[in-house]
Order: sequence, then C-alpha cells, then structure tokens
Amino acid sequence: MATVQEPAAPFDPIAQCADEPIQIPGSIQPHGFLFVVDEPRLTLVQVSRNVEQWLGIAAEALLGLPLGELVPDPEVGERLRQLTEGDPNPFHLRDLSLRLGTRQSETFALMGHRYAGRLIVEFERAGDPRQAYDDLYPLMRTFVTQLQDADGVACLCELAVREVKRMTGFGRVKAYRFDAEGNGLVLAEQADDGYPRYLGLSFPASDIPPQARRLYCDNLIRMIPDANYRPAALVPPSDPRTGAPLDLSFASLRSVSPVHLQYMRNMGTLASMSISIVIGGRLWGLISCHDAQPRQVSYQTRTACELLGRVLALQIEAKEARALDRRKLELRQQLVHLLAAMADCDSLVEGFKSVSDAVLSFARAGGAAIIAGAQCETAGEVPPIADILALTRWLGERPEQPLFHSDNLARDLPHLPQLAGHSAGVLCLSISRLHPHYLIWFRPERIKTVHWAGQPEKDLRSDGTLGPRHSFERWQETVRGHSLAWEPVELELALELRNAVLGIVLRKAEELAQLAGELKQTNKELEAFSYSVSHDLRAPLRHIAGYAQLLGELEGGKLSERGRRFLDNIGDAARFAGTLVDNLLSFSQMGRSALRLSDVNLEALVESIRQEMAPDLQGRHIDWRLQPMPIVVADAAFIHLALRNLLSNAVKYTRPREQAVIEIGAEERANEVIVYVRDNGVGFSMQYAGKLFGVFQRLHRMEEFEGTGIGLASVRRIVERHDGRVWAEGEPDRGATFYFALPRLNYSASA
Amino acid sequence: MLKPILLVEDNPHDLELTLVALERSQLANEVVVLRDGAEALDYLNRRGAYAERVDGNPAVMLLDLKLPKVDGLEVLKAVRDSAELRSIPVVMLTSSREEPDLKRAYELGVNAYVVKPVAFRDFVAAIADLGVFWAVLNEPPPGSLRLERRTGRAGD
Repeated sequence: MATVQEPAAPFDPIAQCADEPIQIPGSIQPHGFLFVVDEPRLTLVQVSRNVEQWLGIAAEALLGLPLGELVPDPEVGERLRQLTEGDPNPFHLRDLSLRLGTRQSETFALMGHRYAGRLIVEFERAGDPRQAYDDLYPLMRTFVTQLQDADGVACLCELAVREVKRMTGFGRVKAYRFDAEGNGLVLAEQADDGYPRYLGLSFPASDIPPQARRLYCDNLIRMIPDANYRPAALVPPSDPRTGAPLDLSFASLRSVSPVHLQYMRNMGTLASMSISIVIGGRLWGLISCHDAQPRQVSYQTRTACELLGRVLALQIEAKEARALDRRKLELRQQLVHLLAAMADCDSLVEGFKSVSDAVLSFARAGGAAIIAGAQCETAGEVPPIADILALTRWLGERPEQPLFHSDNLARDLPHLPQLAGHSAGVLCLSISRLHPHYLIWFRPERIKTVHWAGQPEKDLRSDGTLGPRHSFERWQETVRGHSLAWEPVELELALELRNAVLGIVLRKAEELAQLAGELKQTNKELEAFSYSVSHDLRAPLRHIAGYAQLLGELEGGKLSERGRRFLDNIGDAARFAGTLVDNLLSFSQMGRSALRLSDVNLEALVESIRQEMAPDLQGRHIDWRLQPMPIVVADAAFIHLALRNLLSNAVKYTRPREQAVIEIGAEERANEVIVYVRDNGVGFSMQYAGKLFGVFQRLHRMEEFEGTGIGLASVRRIVERHDGRVWAEGEPDRGATFYFALPRLNYSASA
Repeated sequence: MLKPILLVEDNPHDLELTLVALERSQLANEVVVLRDGAEALDYLNRRGAYAERVDGNPAVMLLDLKLPKVDGLEVLKAVRDSAELRSIPVVMLTSSREEPDLKRAYELGVNAYVVKPVAFRDFVAAIADLGVFWAVLNEPPPGSLRLERRTGRAGD
C-alpha cells in the first residue's frame, strides 16, 4: 500500500497543466495543412508553415490569395460559406487536387469548419473512397446488429473495441469509463502481442486535464499519427485583423500539448486516436487506440469510428437507462411495501419496527434508525445511540435541507469522529416538517482496492514544471473510509419516501381530527338521545306508577284481592322500569363524562357506603370484615358507585344466609392496587364468569334476587375507564369474590 | 291571606299528580296553575288575562323546565332580571337528572330543583317537602306579604 503525497510546491503544477491553453497552440500536426480564409472572397489570411512541404509553395506566398485561385470549383467556395457554427466539427466537403499554377497537386480530403468567427480549411491526404462502401459499411452493419444483442455495458465496449481495432489496425484498442472523480477504468481491451495490457486497471483523473476533457466532449474524435511530429506553426502566428491567436478547438490537425506527447512516448506508443463516448452531454468514457509505430487513419475510417462511437453511446445510454429503470422499479416496490406498513401502524416508529428488514434493504444499508421525539428505534448495525443523537443534533442545525448523505463520514463530518469510527456512510432523511424527526441509514466501510495503471501522480521535475508520469506499472491502492456510494436514484427515491411519509403523517393527523370530530358529534347525539330517553320514558312511567297508586288508594276497597295485586304489580313494574332507565342512563354517562381524579381513601369510602346501606339491613346478620385499604388516585364518585354496586350485590346474594360474611380488602402491587369484595352468598358457576360483567346479564331469577342487570356492567365500565381490570371467582352456594385492579395513576393522566 | 304557590306545568298527568301531592302536603296556600311560560309571565307581570289580579308575588314558583311557547329557563331569566320578581323562590321540576339545562338553571339562580320521582309516594314526599320549605319555613325576603303580616303592618 502506498501513501499519497501532496506535491509540496508553492504552486500546483497539476493545476497549471489544467491551465495550459491547449485550444490555441499556434501550430498544427504536420500530417496535413491548414488555411484560415476571410470572407467574402475567401482570402487566405493564415496558412500553416508546412504547406511548403505539401505544395512546394512558401506560406507567405499564399497569404492574400483568394481560395478560388487554388480551388477553382466555385461550388466548394459556396459550400464553405454555407458552413455554420452550429456544428463546428470539420465537415468533409470533397476530395480534390489543388491548382498550382500549371500543375495539379495530389488528391486531398478538404474539410472545412467555422469556429470562433473563423472559417478554417484543412487538407489531409485523401483515403480510398471505395473503402467506405466496400469495408467500412458492411463492418458497421454487422457491429450494429451485434450491439443490439449484447447484454451489459462491458460486452458492448468489448464489441466496439474489437471493431475499432479491425477498422483502424491500431496495435491496442481499449475502452474505459470515467467514475465520478474522473478516474478511468478499462472495461475492454484488444491488443496485439507485445503491448502492455491495462484491462481492469484504472487511469487517474489527472491524466486528462479538465480543458482536454471538455474538448473530448465537443470533438468526438482526435488523432495523433506520430508523437514525434514537429509542429507546423501558423503564418502569421495570429489573426492579422485582430491580433488574436487562432482557436483550433475543433481543427482535426490541432497540435497537442508537449506534455501529452511525452506521456505517449512514456507509454511506449507513437500513434494514438481517441473516440469520445458522450452520454447526455457528459464524457462517459473513451475508446482509446494506440500503436507502437506511427499510424495514419484516413478521414473515411475516422468518420466511421466517430459514428461507431455515437452508436455505442446510444446503446450504453439505453442499457444504463434500462438498468436504472429496473433499479427504480425495484426501489419503488420496496417503497410501496414500506409505506403500506407505515400507514397501517399507528405511528411511524411502530411501522419502522414492523418492517425494519425492508427499511434496511431499501437503502442497501447495514443499519437504520428512526428518531421521533424521545423515541429512537434502530435496526441492524448502528452506531451507539449517543452518536446517532449527535448526528441528529447536527442535522437539526440545517433545518431547510430534507436530505443529507455522505459516503465518507470522516471526510464530510470531521467534527463527529465517533460516528465515522463506526459507519462510513449515512443517508439522513428528515421526516417531519415541524419536528426534528429523522430516518437514517448507515452503511459500513467498504475497503476498496484500486489497481492503478501506474502511480496516479504526475512527475514533478526539479525545476517545478510538470512532466507526464513515466510509470505505467501496476500499482495497488487500498482506499479506506468509504462506504458504497449513494446512487442518485436511491437519493431520489428516499426523497419520494419522505414526501409519502409526510403525506401519511398529515393523513393520520387529518384522520384523527376527523375521528375526534365524529366522536364529538356522536357524543352529542348520544347525550341528546339519553336525555330524551330519560325525559320521555320517565314521564309516562311516573304517570303509570302515580295513577296506579291513586287508583289503589281511592278504589282499592272495591277491588278483589286479585285486582289489588294486579294494581300493585302495575305500580311495581312501572317503578322497576323507572329504575332501569335511571341505571341505564348513569351507565351511559360513565362512558362519557371525564374522570376527575383525586385521592380516594378506600377504607373511608367503604365505611360510608356501609352506613348508607345500614337502614336497609335491619334484621340481617352481617359480619363485616373490613381489611386496611390504601388511598388511591381515582375518580371518587365513580369508585363510590363501583364499590356500592359490589357491596350491595354482596348484601343481596348473602340474603339466604343466617350469618352473612362480607370481607373487603385490597392488595398493593408495584403497578396497581387490587380491591376485592368477598361474600359467603349463593355464588355462581365459573362457567358463567365471562357473562357476569355484561349489560343485562343476570344469573338469577327475578323473584330470587331483584336487579336490573346493570350493576356489574357499571363496575366494569368504571374500572376500565381507569385503565384497570375486573374479574370474579365463585362457586355455586359457596360464595363469590369480585376483584378490580386500579393502575397507579397520576392526576395528569386524566382521560 | 297566604301567598299562592305558582305551579307552571304543561303535562296534564304531571299537573294532576302534582296537585294531588300538594293537596296531601296539607298546605293552606292557594295553588295557581299556569300551563306555559307565556302564561306564567303574564301572571307574574299582571298582564293580559291576569291584568286584574291582586297585587303581590307568590310564595314559591314550581316551574317545569320544558314548557311550550316560553320555556322554564326563559321564565326563570325573566324573573331574575326583574327588580320586582327577583326575590320569588323558584324550584325547577324536571323529568330527568340528565337535563343539560340544569347547569344553566343554576347559573340563572334557581333556588332548587327536583327530579320528579317515578314512585308516587316519593313524589308526594318531595312536593310536600318543597311546599313546607319554601311556602312555610323559608324566611321570605323583606317586603314580602308575610313579613308585613307578622309585623302587623299588613292591611288584609
């Protein structure tokens, strides 16, 4: 493993390399020659010095001549004038020979382009025009057919590399793609024997300075037939009208940086050609061709290669888009699953717990946490809670950003070293507009080994100027501190999840509000109903009872014994119905009125109930066994009613006993107080234990024991309003014990 | 002459039973029966059919809460808002403890309320208690008829 050293120079030569004005080198490569022509007459205003080698005429002698002198065909001039800057790439107008006084030159391919206000005409040796149809076209057709069948980007690149090598004859052709940092990874390679292989290796981003990268994007194909070339200067060196240097960005003959030529020689290659793979305006990768010997590729072949590059780019784009769609679909399915679970649960935290595995797999994370107020639930491998909370505190300081992600916490959050010590990557999602609630995924460190094609640093010479690196030997680097990078599609879907979660929260709030509204309405209706029941039902019962009694008093003497009994029954029935109505009403009231919690002294309460009942107990022999009882927090009026019901039941069902025994006591537990009322009365069979506390449930015939069947139901309702429990134990003829347990409440817990 | 007991009740059965109950309580006071709130206010303010009645406020008014035309609460409010009538003891009669208007009745200054019991015996007892308390035992405010009679200044 190597350590990476920062160049300790007062200025950064690599950045300086990035500043080299490669688009205005002032010279061209000598495998062709170049004119700059001035409109309207297409007068030659700049000429490359090497025109003398090609045409036998000194550059200076050509300056000021109209192009028509050399190229008499007026159609060529016309087509040159029609070139626009819309597409500044050199356009092949035709192959022709130049008129040089009385003689004709050899045949050249004439290419013209207009850029930065200049009309530039380039000439290079013409290729065989038939080659395009005889060789290139069939090759391309086969290639395109194969591309469609290829599965996977590497496979596409392999096909393209093979094809380019066949068309151009270069000794080694490789295709690489750039990562986010600009490092190029070789995906496919075809090479003749004797060439070093680079498949699977990475070329550092610094090998291609940014301005060269920009040119690669604009200008899809470049060729350097001989790295040992002597550049041909322009005459005059700058535009005679403006004095500005000529911008050769798009010229196919543009001379390249001496640093790059040195780089080629260091690599052991003398000829190179590169075809850009541009997707969505971004330089996705390159097909890079090299040869140990100088090698010229004809204009036709280059055009075919450029076309191949474009087709390849389209195919890669389609493949990547399909892969992205698949990933998106997969993520969206997981998202729907997550949301369904979260929407089903009462709270997001509950939802999180119920589908924690899906939460983890959604973000391909090792751990996840949900933080909502005081709650913090985690799943999988997560840092200690304190470190998670430190992270949420930091997130809270940047409230406007719903998403934060990092695949290198040590680098991005150096102030939270504990966190970085545990996880390498996080994706944090704010899941509330109002509160600091977050869903956070953690990814572990993924130690990555990069196989570099040589040390990534360029060679810094002793004089501070930059030389290209010399070493292309395999060199391994272990990259630490990184997690798997968060894909843009994952971030996009995470934001979608956030929006949906916000929607769920909002909907839950709305549902609650609506439910509360409906409940309020229902309660109101119930109150009105209760009122009209009590008012309208009680009045006729009162009248029946009243008139029955008056009738008995006034006319009782005229009635038979039986008639008087009937009249008594009418009165009794009416009074019983009245009691029933009253009990039902108070029962329904218990469910509605708010608990008013206070300290309730159970012992004092039992004693007062016993005294209330005393007048009705004349002639009964009851042994009251009152055990010590605590003070509890409860609604005094309700508990009074509950105890009164239990005591009067005990009194009622012990009536057949000569000596009744009623015991009342309580047992204090950690979380609750259990109160019991035990009697030695008629008891009940445990098979009916479940029915005892239901409304209108009676276990005895009316003539045995009177009652409306609401007493125990009221007890249950009262105790349940206190979040407590009721139960009973009994045996026929052996007595019964009724229990209720009250949780330990606070005054604030009023329901 | 004893001040009358005012009974404001629209239901004929309740009216009859209440009258029986009052009769049994053996109060000497005359019972003036009024069948709705409007009639009650006419009586109290000596208007309409009662324009010619003898001056003076009743000993107690037994007022049903639910009444046609002008209901019990409105009558109570009118009584409490009037300087002349304010001191009349008012007992609300209701059919049910569930009356949501009971709270309002207390806010308006009712002296007592009675939930009419279903059992007639209890009903008689309740009415008798009321009559004795308000028509006999309760010390009427200064300026009322009985006070004058006791101090010998009444001119009947």
